[in-house]
Amino acid sequence: MKTIDDRVAVGRTLIAAAVAAVLLAGCAAAPAAPEGASEVRAKLTQLQSDSNLASRAPAAIKEADAAVRTAEQPEADRSLGEHRVYIADRKVEIASAQAQTRYLEDERARITAERASAQLDSRTREVDMAREATADAKEENAELQRQIDALKAKPTDRGLVLTLGDVLFESGRAELKPGATSNLGQLVAFLAKYPSRTVAIEGHTDSVGGDDYNVGLSQRRADSVRSHLVSRGVDAARISAMGAGESAPVASNESAAGRQQNRRVEVIISNPALAAL
Amino acid sequence: MTSLSRPRPGSCLRAATGLAGVLLLSACASTPPAPTAQLQAAQQAITSAERADASRHAAGELSAARAKLASAKTAVQAEQMVAAERLAGESRVEAELAAARTTFVKARIVNDEMQSSTGTLIDEMQRKSGDAK
Repeated sequence: MKTIDDRVAVGRTLIAAAVAAVLLAGCAAAPAAPEGASEVRAKLTQLQSDSNLASRAPAAIKEADAAVRTAEQPEADRSLGEHRVYIADRKVEIASAQAQTRYLEDERARITAERASAQLDSRTREVDMAREATADAKEENAELQRQIDALKAKPTDRGLVLTLGDVLFESGRAELKPGATSNLGQLVAFLAKYPSRTVAIEGHTDSVGGDDYNVGLSQRRADSVRSHLVSRGVDAARISAMGAGESAPVASNESAAGRQQNRRVEVIISNPALAAL
Repeated sequence: MTSLSRPRPGSCLRAATGLAGVLLLSACASTPPAPTAQLQAAQQAITSAERADASRHAAGELSAARAKLASAKTAVQAEQMVAAERLAGESRVEAELAAARTTFVKARIVNDEMQSSTGTLIDEMQRKSGDAK
């Protein structure tokens, strides 16, 4: 009997101790989730509320969320709690890395579009510039034509040929007549406007008089024109001058009218397009 | 009191015996199986991260994963199978993180290159049209 009573007492003590232990364990575990769980939750919440990322790794975020919920459960086994927090933390990080990767991949379409649009802009600009250049060239050609017309020059294989009649000179003289310079004014202007063009000046006479005389006279007349151009600012290096005498008539020397045509100075303006080629 | 407590002692004893038996059993099952599957999964995750060049782009995570796996194997030898299983699990997620970060870093490198070449292109175009004007 006594022994039974003793056992009962021991049993009661054991039960009380067990209850106390359970209560104690309950008290220790109840307060909160394992240490670190709230930080992991905060990290996950941040990821979920990032509009650039939240929708980009739904499966990984869902998995991370489940791991965080497990980690948040009060756990008496401290090391199990730590383990769960560790797993949850890495799963959140994995979800975050995946979402960011996906974001970067999606960005590529934007970068490519930006690039394409920049290329398109550039091409449009190039076309505009080319069109402008064409318009400029057309305008330039038209202007040149106007100048040539004003000069009364004739386009030939040798270039533009401007024929200055004998009105420039007194008979037998090589000095330009005072009024002649205004005739040359347009040539000076033309050469100033088109500095890449060079000119060859050729003096010609009719058949009256000796050959040597005529060559000398035509040379002096060509030189006069050259000097005049140089005095008006045309670079001497652009101008050559020669006397052809009576060797290259353009009309018959039989008639007075023909002889007058033959007495002339020709200014041959080089064609820059050919020179450039 | 006594009449109340009388029927109890027997059941209490039986419960205590049962509990002790369970405890003994679990202790006697002495070597629980090693967490082979978890160890293999961790090793696979590490190998996969290594193949993705994680040692270059996520070296810290990769070496943490390796260290965790080594600890898991040590725990197996010490017959601490619960710890071993957890360590193996941690090694695996760490290796998966190494792989995920490696993928991210690679993607960023690609984007940076695209961005900078596009920037260069735009600069060039602006310079070209600027020169023309």
